[in-house]
Amino acid sequence: MIRSFSLSFAVFFLISVVALGQEKVTLNGYVRDVSNGEELIGVTVYIPKMSAGTVTNPYGFYSLTLPKGTYEIQFSYVGYAVQTVTVDLQGDVERNVDMLSETTVMQEVTVTDKRVDENVVSLQMSKNTLDMNRVRKLPALFGEVDIIKNIQMLPGVITAGEGTSSFYVRGGSADQNLILIDEAPIYDPSHLFGLFSVFNADVIKDSELYKGGIPARFGGRLSSILEVRTKDGNNKKLGVTGGIGTMASRIMVEGPLVKDKASFIVSARRSYVDLFLRAANNDNLVHFYDVNAKVNWKGNNNNRFFAAFYSGRDVFNFGNQFGFAWGNRTATFRWNHLFNERLFSNTSIIVSNFDYKLELKDPVQGFKWTSNLEELSVKNDLSYFINTNNDLTFGYHITGRRFSPGRIAPNTEGSMFEEVNLQKMYALDHGIYISNQQRLTDRITLDYGLRLSIFQNLGATDIYEYTDPQDNSRPVRTDTLHYGAWQNIKTYVNLEPRAAARYMLGEGQSVKVSYNRMVQNTHLIAAGTVPVPFNTWNPSSPYLKPQLADQVAAGYFRNFKDNMLEFSAEAYYKSMKDVTDFADNADIFFNQDLSTEFRQGKSYSYGLELLLNKKEGRLTGSVGYTWSKTMRKIPGVNQGQEFPANYDRRNVVNIQAAYDYSARWTFGATFSYSTGRPITLAEGKYQFQSYNPDIVTSRNGYRLPAFHRLDLSATYSPRKNEGRRFKGTWVFAVYNAYNRQNPFTIYTRVTKNKDGDTIGDGYTKEARMIYLFPILPSVTYNIKF
Amino acid sequence: MKNIFFVLLFAIVFVSCDRPIHLNLNESQSRVIIEGQVTNRAGYQYVKLSRSVDFYQTGALPKITNATVSVKDSDGNEVMFIHNPNNKADSVGYYLPQTPFMGVIGKDYHLRVDVDGEIYEADDHLYPVTSVDSLAYRIDDDEKDDPKTYNKFYEVLIYAKEPHPSKDYYLFKFYRNDSLKLYNDTDIYYTDDEALGESINGISTPIFYAPGDKATIEAYSLSRTGYVFYDDLQKLLNNDGGMFNQPPANSRTNLSNGALGFFQASAINSASIVVEE
Repeated sequence: MIRSFSLSFAVFFLISVVALGQEKVTLNGYVRDVSNGEELIGVTVYIPKMSAGTVTNPYGFYSLTLPKGTYEIQFSYVGYAVQTVTVDLQGDVERNVDMLSETTVMQEVTVTDKRVDENVVSLQMSKNTLDMNRVRKLPALFGEVDIIKNIQMLPGVITAGEGTSSFYVRGGSADQNLILIDEAPIYDPSHLFGLFSVFNADVIKDSELYKGGIPARFGGRLSSILEVRTKDGNNKKLGVTGGIGTMASRIMVEGPLVKDKASFIVSARRSYVDLFLRAANNDNLVHFYDVNAKVNWKGNNNNRFFAAFYSGRDVFNFGNQFGFAWGNRTATFRWNHLFNERLFSNTSIIVSNFDYKLELKDPVQGFKWTSNLEELSVKNDLSYFINTNNDLTFGYHITGRRFSPGRIAPNTEGSMFEEVNLQKMYALDHGIYISNQQRLTDRITLDYGLRLSIFQNLGATDIYEYTDPQDNSRPVRTDTLHYGAWQNIKTYVNLEPRAAARYMLGEGQSVKVSYNRMVQNTHLIAAGTVPVPFNTWNPSSPYLKPQLADQVAAGYFRNFKDNMLEFSAEAYYKSMKDVTDFADNADIFFNQDLSTEFRQGKSYSYGLELLLNKKEGRLTGSVGYTWSKTMRKIPGVNQGQEFPANYDRRNVVNIQAAYDYSARWTFGATFSYSTGRPITLAEGKYQFQSYNPDIVTSRNGYRLPAFHRLDLSATYSPRKNEGRRFKGTWVFAVYNAYNRQNPFTIYTRVTKNKDGDTIGDGYTKEARMIYLFPILPSVTYNIKF
Repeated sequence: MKNIFFVLLFAIVFVSCDRPIHLNLNESQSRVIIEGQVTNRAGYQYVKLSRSVDFYQTGALPKITNATVSVKDSDGNEVMFIHNPNNKADSVGYYLPQTPFMGVIGKDYHLRVDVDGEIYEADDHLYPVTSVDSLAYRIDDDEKDDPKTYNKFYEVLIYAKEPHPSKDYYLFKFYRNDSLKLYNDTDIYYTDDEALGESINGISTPIFYAPGDKATIEAYSLSRTGYVFYDDLQKLLNNDGGMFNQPPANSRTNLSNGALGFFQASAINSASIVVEE
C-alpha cells in the first residue's frame, strides 16, 4: 500500500514534468573502462552545443533526452582521457562508451586538453571520493592499504586515535556512519580492534563519503554514508593480483566468464601473524581474513545481474583457554533494468549478518557467549531521466532486522553456568523517497527531495515497565507487556527533507548550499569513545527514540589552473536531537534492564573545512584543514551540563602527497595534526579498603596532548616489468617517521616501578599515557599478471 | 563475569607502550569518604572516615577523628561508634562499636555520621550468604610456568551451592596465611548470580599458594546497591581513559550528601584449608 502511494506520487510528478517536452529523443548507455569493462560512476557527460549534460549514475548508466539533431558529446572522468563522441540523434540511441585510463595510456606524463571540473559543476557538496590510484601510492600502516585510514584524513572527519577504524563525521559519533559494501551495511568495520579495516583495497573500485547534502536515496544514519563499491571483475581478460605484506597477504583473481558479457572476481586476504607465533611455539593465536567475490552478467543494457558476497572474520585464541571472534557476512543480489531508455531501475536484495562470540574453556568456569544482528533488505531505486534539465529518482526500501543481543551457555558438563538468553528484538524499516535534480538555468541547479521513514519495533518481545525507567541502580519492574510475533510495539514516522542548490559564479567557481534531515533508528550500545566488536545494536523502541539530525552546509568551490587545482571551503551547522548516550557507569554488556541505562539528549556541531586538491600531474595530493566544535548536552550525564563530545578535536590538518618521480619510483607522504581528544581525568583521589580510586569531576574536562605524525613511502617498479605480463612492485614505507609518541589514552594507577611493583607509600598515584606505534618500517611486494 | 571484557580490551595493548605523563589538574574539592561495614560476625563492625585529596598528593589520607557515628537497625536498636577506642596508631580514622554487636540476617541497617554538623547517612540490607561446602587445591600449570609470586602456584578450588531462584550478589576475599591478597592491586572479586547454575563445583581462586600456606576464603553477601558500588569501583580502577571503556565516573553509593565510599551490610561465610605438597 505504501508502495503504490509512492509510485502514484511519482507518476503524477512525471506526467506534470514530461508534459512540457516536445519532440525529443534519448541517448543512453553505460560508460566503462576499456581495459576491464568496469562501469565508471560519476562520469561527466557534456554537450557543449547545449551547454547541458549529466553524470553517470551509481551503476555507470547515463541517459540524455534532447531535441533531434547531431551532437558532439564529451565524456570526462578523473584519471581518464576525455572521449568525444559524435552522435546523429534522429531516434533513440543506445551508446555505450569505453574510456581509456591515463595510467594505461602513459605512465609518466598525462596530457589532457580539458580537465574535469566536477568539483565546481557538480551539485553534490560535502562529498569526498577516494582516488584509489593515489591511495595506493601513499604510506600505510604495516603496508596494508586501508581506505578507512584515508577516510579519516578527509576534511570534516575526525579520528579517535591511530590504530582505530572508527571515524566521526561533522560531530557525529562512530555509529552514525552508514558503511556500505556493495549496498550491504557493515556493522563493525574493524580487524584487530581497528588496526585495519575490513576493506581489502585490491577489490575496491571506488569509495565515496557523503558528509552533508545526503541524497534522498540514503537513510538510516545521522552523519554520513560511506559507500564502497567493489570491482565487477575484468570481462576482457583473466588477471591475477596479489601482495605479500608484513601483516597479511592478498590474492585476487578476476576474468571473463563470457567475454564482454559476464565476469567474476574473487579476492582473499589473510593475516599471518599467527603462523609466526605458531612457528615460535606461542599458543596465543590471532588472525583475520576477508573474502570478496562477485559475478555479473551484463547480457545487454536492458537487464544486468550482479551477485556480490563478502565475509570477514577475526579470530583470537589465547592458549586454547580463552577465545573470541567476530565478523561480518554480506550478500547482495542486484538487478539493473531499463524499462525504457529513460527509466532506469535497480533492484537489490541484501543480507547482512554481524556476529561475535566469546568462549572460556574451563571445566568449571567454561561458557560460550554469542550475539548477532541479521538484516534483510529489499530495495528498488528508479531513475527517470526526464529531460536534460530534470533527473528524477525515487524508490522504496524495506529492511527487516533481528537483534540477538546475547546468549550465554555452558560449554562443559561441569560448568557452573546455565543458559541465559537476552531477549531478541525485531524491527521493520520502510523508506520511501523521491527527489528531483533540476537544472533551472545555466547557473542554477537544484535538488529537492523527501524521504519518508516508517520504523516499526515489532514482537515477539516482552517490554518491561519500571517504576522509574531511568533508575539503573535498582531497576524495579512493575509490569511485563507481552508482544507476539510481528505485533507492533512502537512506530516512529519521520519525514526527512533533503535539498541542495548550486550556483555558478563564473568560469570555475560555484557556490553550493544544502540541507538534510537524517533519522537513525538503529543505535549502537557503546559507551566508550571507540566502539568494540562486542558492542551490540538496539532498535528504536518505547525506551529509545529515533535520533534526528538537521544539517545545513554552504560552500565555495573553485578550480584553478585549468582545473588542475581544486579548492573548496565548506561551513556546516548540525543540530542533533535524541542522540543516544548512556548513564555514568552504565552496564552495557548482557544487561536484562539495558533500557534503564539509556540517556538521550542534544548535540550540536559546527565547523569550517578547507580542502585544496591536486588530482592530476606527477605531483598529486591534498591539503585539508578543519576547524570544528561538537558539544553534547545529555540529561543525567555530567550533571546535565554541556560537555565536549569524545571526538571534539578543534583543529585538524591533513596533508597527502604522491609524486611520480620516474617510471621506476613513486614517492608518497602523509602528515596529520590534530588537537588532542577530550578526556575525563581524575582531579582527586581517596582510599577505600586497599583501593585507591580517583575522583572524577567533569566529563571530558581535559584534553590529551596534540596528535601529529608523518608517514613516508616509496614504490619501486623494477625495469624488468616493462614488456612482460608479470609485474612486481615493491612498496617501502615508514610509519611515524619522526617517532612521535602520540597519545592514545591516559590511565592512572598507584605509582609502580618497571616490574609492576608498587613503590613509594602505596598511596601516591601516577598518570600514564598509552601510545601505540613507534617508527615502523614495512615492506610489501605486490604482483600483477 | 562481565569483567571479562576488561581482560580482552587490554589485548589491543599488545602493540602499545606507556610512559608517565604529568597532568595539569585543577584542585579538587575535598570530600568526605566513608567506609562502613556491619556483618553477622563478631569484631567485623567498623566505620572509617577520611577525606579525599588532590590527585598528586602523596601520603595517607587525612582522617576524620571528631565525628559522631552511629548505626541503627530496623528494630530501632542504635549503637554508637567511638573513634579509635584502644588508641592504636594504625587505627586513626576508625570508629568501633561502643558495645560489641553482630548484624542479623534480614535486618536493615542505617548509618549516621555527623562531621562538623554535616550529616551523612546510608542504608543497607543484610542478606544471607551461601555457605562454602568444601575446599580443595591443585597445581595451576600456567601459573607454575610463570608464577607471579615465587613458588606460589597452587590454586584453591571452591565447592558451593548457589541458591535459586533468589537474586544474590557476592563479594569474595582471599587470604594467604591470614593476610588479605589481591592478584592485581585493582582486582575486586564480586559477582551477581546471572547465568550461574545451582552447583559450583571447583571454581578456582585468583590467588595462588605454596605448600604450607593456609588459604582462607570469605564470602560476603551484598545488596544490589553493594554490587553496583563494587562494579562501578572496579570499572573506575581499571578504566582505560574512556577509549574502549566508558568515561571514568565515581561509584554510585548509598551514602547521602556527596560522601564517597560505601556502607555495607553483609553476612559472611568462610572456609580455610592448608595446602600440602
